[in-house]
Amino acid sequence: MAETGRSEIRDIDRSLYDFRYESDPDFQVESGLTPEIVETISREKNDPDWMRAFRLKSLAVYNKMPLPAWGPPLDGLHMENIVTYVRPKTDMRGTWDEVPDDIKNTFERLGIPQAERASLAGVGAQYDSEVVYHNVKKEVLEQGVIYTDLESALHSDQAERIREHFMHLVPPGDHKFAALHGAVWSGGSYVYVPKGVSVEIPLQSYFRLNAPGAGQFEHTLIIVDEGAYLHFIEGCSAPKYNVANLHAGCVEIFVGKNARVRYSTIENWSKNMYNLNTKRAVVDEGGTIEWVSGSFGSHTSYLYPMSILRGEGARMEFTGITFAGNGQELDTGAQVVHAAAGTSSHIMTKSLARDGGVSNFRSSVIVTKDAHEAKSAVSCESLMLDDRSRSDTIPVMDIRCDRADVGHEAKIGRISEDAVFYLMSRGLSEEDARALIVGGFAEPIAKELPLEYAVEMNNLIHLEMSGTL
Amino acid sequence: MQLNTLPVSTWNHLGVNHAPDRAALPAAPAGGWGATNTRYEALPEGCACRPVLPLACARARSGLGVEADRFIRTNATFHRFYSAAGTAKAPIRLYEHLDSDHPNAITHTALHAQENACVTYIQVITAEDDADGVSAGLTQIAAERGARVRLIQVQLLPLACRRYNAVAVRCEAGARVDVVRAEPGAGVLVSGAHFALEGDESACRLDAVYYGEGDGILDFNDVAVHTGRGTVSELTTAGVLSDRAEKILRGTIDFQRGAVRGVGHEQEDVVLFSPDVRNRTAPLILCAEEQVEGQHAATIGRLDEDMLYYLSSRGLSAADARRLLVEARFAPILDKIPDTALREQVRADIGRRLDHDA
Repeated sequence: MAETGRSEIRDIDRSLYDFRYESDPDFQVESGLTPEIVETISREKNDPDWMRAFRLKSLAVYNKMPLPAWGPPLDGLHMENIVTYVRPKTDMRGTWDEVPDDIKNTFERLGIPQAERASLAGVGAQYDSEVVYHNVKKEVLEQGVIYTDLESALHSDQAERIREHFMHLVPPGDHKFAALHGAVWSGGSYVYVPKGVSVEIPLQSYFRLNAPGAGQFEHTLIIVDEGAYLHFIEGCSAPKYNVANLHAGCVEIFVGKNARVRYSTIENWSKNMYNLNTKRAVVDEGGTIEWVSGSFGSHTSYLYPMSILRGEGARMEFTGITFAGNGQELDTGAQVVHAAAGTSSHIMTKSLARDGGVSNFRSSVIVTKDAHEAKSAVSCESLMLDDRSRSDTIPVMDIRCDRADVGHEAKIGRISEDAVFYLMSRGLSEEDARALIVGGFAEPIAKELPLEYAVEMNNLIHLEMSGTL
Repeated sequence: MQLNTLPVSTWNHLGVNHAPDRAALPAAPAGGWGATNTRYEALPEGCACRPVLPLACARARSGLGVEADRFIRTNATFHRFYSAAGTAKAPIRLYEHLDSDHPNAITHTALHAQENACVTYIQVITAEDDADGVSAGLTQIAAERGARVRLIQVQLLPLACRRYNAVAVRCEAGARVDVVRAEPGAGVLVSGAHFALEGDESACRLDAVYYGEGDGILDFNDVAVHTGRGTVSELTTAGVLSDRAEKILRGTIDFQRGAVRGVGHEQEDVVLFSPDVRNRTAPLILCAEEQVEGQHAATIGRLDEDMLYYLSSRGLSAADARRLLVEARFAPILDKIPDTALREQVRADIGRRLDHDA
């Protein structure tokens, strides 16, 4: 890897994620968004009547709502060109051997079966619009944990529970892409952890979008009952195409009394992806939601997991890193609503921008009138790696209770030349010195991830950093 | 017309993208705004009045927004454009007073500080206790190379008054403009200072104090735009909210490309005295340059209970302890008012408000 002048940017080898197989779906709808397309999806998925009605109602909401008046531009996203449902040539399987070779090879190259064997209690793998593989360890099942694809659950004894929770946290009227999701959602996972059960090993869902010009709209619904614990990992990637792809997934998490959920994401969509994802958790008394989020991919991202702390003493932690490179505008952050007494939140984010990339941190902290003794601390740090990039910090605090303590700090800066000089004097190349400093900057996030994912995140950082010199 | 527009929009439901409708600039009364009741002292040596707005000042825009600037300019019933050269031994002073004969004051003033000039400009806005009019002022400042300008604004209007304070600043190389904005008064207070740090090594500092009470609406939009190299901005705000007051503070440090070695710091300290207040803060750092240092910090909440307890144990009443702690928070800012009598006037005004809340 020859070093070059500082202004030159070398091509980044993203072959780990950018490989692709010819798209050969079993079925797909026409591009665009019409009531007929929504009806087709509903029919193909054998929806119950209420869901079919829900989809059509969501479509009506979508058609009425404007695009967001804030955030990165969405000029390159044309719904008339997006295929909202692509069914691969397989049903959902319970063993990798039964999965068609091209799809199995995709997940093999992404390391999913290996991770499953080594460190996961269950895996769901979605390819385009459908879950193609789902499996969960016997001992987890024996604890009464339900982990399956959402469609299967919708036709099981969990149907009523799903109906009570589905898009109740993120209603279609929340924003335009929530409405879109309500209309065309497909795939995703359903998790129920019974009272007092601790799932010691993480569950993981991995979403792979292979078809060019397609959208992926998986719905993840997690219900963790009183005193239970779950660590759920979400991974996503896609090969790069010359046309826009769209990801408008939705995650809803219900954290019961004194329960705890950790939700970790390493997002590495391809750089033609519009990632307009919505994640939300509601936390009951004494419960905890922990978000760990790494955003590396996408052309454009709008991603701000929201936590509604509705029970006394509920707690939220958000730890996130965003790395925007050439051609990317990643608008990420977190939102929290303190709606009960004694609630606490801690948001810590790091963002990096290089090679003309735009990395924005956006947050909101709302403390409602009755959230006495609420405590919130927000800390965001941004690192600019060159003068062609951009990094904006846009936090808002809305405090309606005098008995609350809210602190916020933000910092923006560059890599210290003194630190680079010191490391180079110890024998490191400038590129390695800078990568080491960036690794240190990201370390507080990496340590929150399981080892395998921390390694993946560090690899991604090195991948992004290579070529900065 | 939208006032105090956030430089980069965010979620609409938070209501911070611009000032609320309730804080809108009122239309001119049927009979016009009437004469402005102003008083000014003889100008210090080196300072003079100009018949027309200096071009350098005209190019400065305020934090309220260009439409609001235009509104104040075209509705103003008092215009005064100063220029300053050399070091002024005394401040330029402008007093504005609302009373029954002069219920409103719409003023447009400007100060053109020539190269290496050093000048202080004091504005004092007061009113009769029963006044309920409008005070709107546009102050445009251009600081030429190496100039030093201090703008001291003291506003002590009663709750029934509305106040619109547009401050527009441009700094050339090596120039520095410091603004002290002590505005404990007015039931509707909309202030916006915009600092354009265009020249290399130019600097600005804003120290602001407010006191929201009753059903007051306080809306601030302070922006420091770093364009030149080695520019420095410091934005510090301290305030109290009581009763049902609502406040929005937008503070933006904007490092534009080329603002190499720029440094911007922003600090906010808010004390909440009532369960019915609403405090919103949007501290933005916008950055398009690698070699900069930007920081923001905010603390929002009650006075330190331990400190209150300690002071009570030393014999202070709860009200006195509270007053002492609030005064201690405001002191670093109020101490920057160079006129002792004026400084004490502000302290006394804040003290009265604290006593009222006790």
